[in-house]
Amino acid sequence: MRERVRQGLVGSLALVPSVFVYGTVFGGLAVQAGLHPVEVWGMSVLVFAGASQFVAVPMLAAGAPALAIILTTYVVNMRHYLMAATLAPSFRGFKRGWLMLIAHLINDESFAVAAARSQPPDAGVYLGSAAAIAGSFVGGVAVGTLLGGLVDDPRRYGLDFAFPAVFLSLVAVQLRRRSDWLVAGGAAMLAVALALALPGNWHIVVAGLVASAAGALVLPVETDA
Amino acid sequence: MRLHVWLTIIGMAVATYLTRAPMFLALASRPLRPRVRLWLRLVPLAVLPALAVPLVLLPDGRLATSLAHPPLWGAVVVFVLAARGVNLLVAVGCAVAVVALLRALG
Repeated sequence: MRERVRQGLVGSLALVPSVFVYGTVFGGLAVQAGLHPVEVWGMSVLVFAGASQFVAVPMLAAGAPALAIILTTYVVNMRHYLMAATLAPSFRGFKRGWLMLIAHLINDESFAVAAARSQPPDAGVYLGSAAAIAGSFVGGVAVGTLLGGLVDDPRRYGLDFAFPAVFLSLVAVQLRRRSDWLVAGGAAMLAVALALALPGNWHIVVAGLVASAAGALVLPVETDA
Repeated sequence: MRLHVWLTIIGMAVATYLTRAPMFLALASRPLRPRVRLWLRLVPLAVLPALAVPLVLLPDGRLATSLAHPPLWGAVVVFVLAARGVNLLVAVGCAVAVVALLRALG
């Protein structure tokens, strides 16, 4: 077990710098958007899901209702169900208390490391990777919140655009099949139309759920994933 | 440090834990049905553009119709670079730089 934890840790070292910088960018932008550093640290430890935290910060800054932010967070993080279901059988025999803690550490990078190494993924490798990823993300956020206060006019440096840029980059790397483009493009158009018609931020959740559900109902089921 | 911010963060934490813990604690070896797997894979593919595109195209709640709109070009830059396999942070950095540059020129 100890050896496999070490393998997971070492196997994740290549990801540590980019996860650290991702955390730094998040911490810096969140402080510039008006969050207190302690709020940013609290969010990073308690939520520990980078993409959804990027989503929440501009909504919080714009004074969106808590329910809209929480629901959007839930939808953005629904992909965890997939990873949790794949990882679960590897953790038989662990005490329930540990499982409740380990569940909180489910993240895209550690899942990718553990799933690439063996099928089913190994519990030890996964834990080693999760330790490396969680440590570098939270460490990066802490550094970022300290640096974030240094820029006094984020808009001048285009930093307000970092939020949509992060979202678009995450979409671009996930477009694998031609039909993925239809879902992403359909969601974008629906969201623009809804945003013009509805107040608040409900277009995100509604367009996201409608476009993905329509795609899942109509498109052929893939065999590769 | 504001109460409503902390309540939102705690709500986000609970919502996120609900996406992680139930399937994990069930320890089930029965895999998800293929169509459910497909849906869960498509959700972020739909939510992220639903979030990003209105931020780019509707800066003040109205459709930006002019090409002299820096975020439009930033979006093109980040999307093309990321799709071509450029490191995501580098792609985001280039897009931010393009937006800053166009704003400085405009």
